[in-house]
Amino acid sequence: MTAVAGPGPVARNEDSAAFFDGTAAGRFLLRRCRPAGHWNRPQAVRCAQCDSPDLRPEPAAGTGRLVSWVVVHPRPGADDPPPPAVPAIVELDEGPWWWTMMVGADPAGLRAGLPVQVVFERPEGSEAVPVWTPVRGQPPT
Amino acid sequence: MTPSNAQRTTNPSRRAAIAGLGLTDMGPVYGRSSASLAEEAVRRAAADAGLRLSEVDGLIVSNGVSGGVGLGLQRDLGLLDLRLLCEMQGFGSTAGSMVQYASMAVESGAAEVVACVFADAPLRPGRTAQDAYSRGGGGGRDASPPAGWGGLLAAAGVRGPNTMYALAARRHMERFGTTTEDLAAVAVAQRAWAAGNPLAQYRDPITVEDHHASRWIAEPFRKLDCCLVSNGGVAVIVTSAERAAALAHPPVHVLGWAQCHPGLSLDRNPDFGIVTGAARSGPAALSMAGVGLADVEVVELYDCYTFTVLVSLEDYGFCAKGEGGAFVSSGATAPGGSLKLNTGGGQLSAYYMWGMTPLSEAVIQVRGEGGDRQAHPHDLALVSGNGGVLDHHATLVLASGRP
Repeated sequence: MTAVAGPGPVARNEDSAAFFDGTAAGRFLLRRCRPAGHWNRPQAVRCAQCDSPDLRPEPAAGTGRLVSWVVVHPRPGADDPPPPAVPAIVELDEGPWWWTMMVGADPAGLRAGLPVQVVFERPEGSEAVPVWTPVRGQPPT
Repeated sequence: MTPSNAQRTTNPSRRAAIAGLGLTDMGPVYGRSSASLAEEAVRRAAADAGLRLSEVDGLIVSNGVSGGVGLGLQRDLGLLDLRLLCEMQGFGSTAGSMVQYASMAVESGAAEVVACVFADAPLRPGRTAQDAYSRGGGGGRDASPPAGWGGLLAAAGVRGPNTMYALAARRHMERFGTTTEDLAAVAVAQRAWAAGNPLAQYRDPITVEDHHASRWIAEPFRKLDCCLVSNGGVAVIVTSAERAAALAHPPVHVLGWAQCHPGLSLDRNPDFGIVTGAARSGPAALSMAGVGLADVEVVELYDCYTFTVLVSLEDYGFCAKGEGGAFVSSGATAPGGSLKLNTGGGQLSAYYMWGMTPLSEAVIQVRGEGGDRQAHPHDLALVSGNGGVLDHHATLVLASGRP
């Protein structure tokens, strides 16, 4: 199995502080509109479906399906090359897409539609970063 | 609704045509600023048209990644009393849009002779092409991590055009069964066209095996799936058909134009990697020109990556949606094939001047100045620009005569 890279570090800012409070507690917070219950990505300020500004944070299930992924290989020639990184798009079971990365999986085994789940990684000096890994025991559909 | 050519109210003598084309040296051209390359391109375009520089009364400038081409170009060129001057940015769609706005200015009488120019100089000695275009994640040498939502993308490695376009390509491959061999076919066909283009940076033939042997950049993209990076400048002169007819070259008439900027959210975009805005700008531009897809004899599509060509072929309707891979692998787009596509080698093999690459080659082809790579017949060309990550689209229909 090919080892793949984990995420790099990220810092919070004013817009993302509540989200990172969530990831620190192992929760993946989306923003849900109060009038109709539509799910939105965590950076939404208005509902993408009904345009309501009345959004509140709510934990997502932390599961989804793989939409697309890329294997970014290290430059050749390095003495001790880092493992490849796997940036990816996941469609959350609640609906929104999340632009992220896959970890803990051989890239050769990835397929569109693969069930995935969130895991939180904590690079040194970083907030907890949500990344995704295949749901164990689930064959691709 | 886009007006068809028959419905255009403009006096036919005022309808727009491209009368001049100016290209500087392309590629690792060092020691020149983008501003000086832009200046040279405009001077060459005016000379090519047979115009004195002082006859230019409109100037539209645009930048690549290195910047430096601004409104000061007017003074660099010594142009007095311009009636139109602006800087535009639509990334890879800019060139087509510049010609559209220049044509509208000419047709309205706002200006008579409009120069449109792009120049860029991202290459420096000792710096790789990839470095010239890579965008930092915000971390840099000071070791403070990137912050917020953009920081999360950077932390996951979702940054830069290579990764973003590769995500789009992978989705197409998963949905339609498009293969790396199909992507290779685009690169191989364009290199074969480039062999006939003396301006091309790479002219030696390549094979599918060469493509597969080139290193991964962002899998599914290999090095030979990615465009070049070039220093250089390109300008065109847009004027009225009547005036153009009295100048040095036969006019290249601007029959149709259209833009499309879908604007779909990254939040959920069912079209991502599947359908682009060219599916709308293409039919709109053809309708304005009063021609059909079957009338198109030369096709110059934006080709930042092999995949961009493949998905654009589908969106314009040269093959069915999802069949772009089979279409290019059939050899249809190689020299001798049924479709005269990216006849100068495009940005994959010739030179990377954003939307000016397909536009300049279309002007050369419609004029019949393509030499060893000249397509026959060549009276009607479709030019496609694509900017952002399949975000911005501009289509032009150019012709040797008016229908």
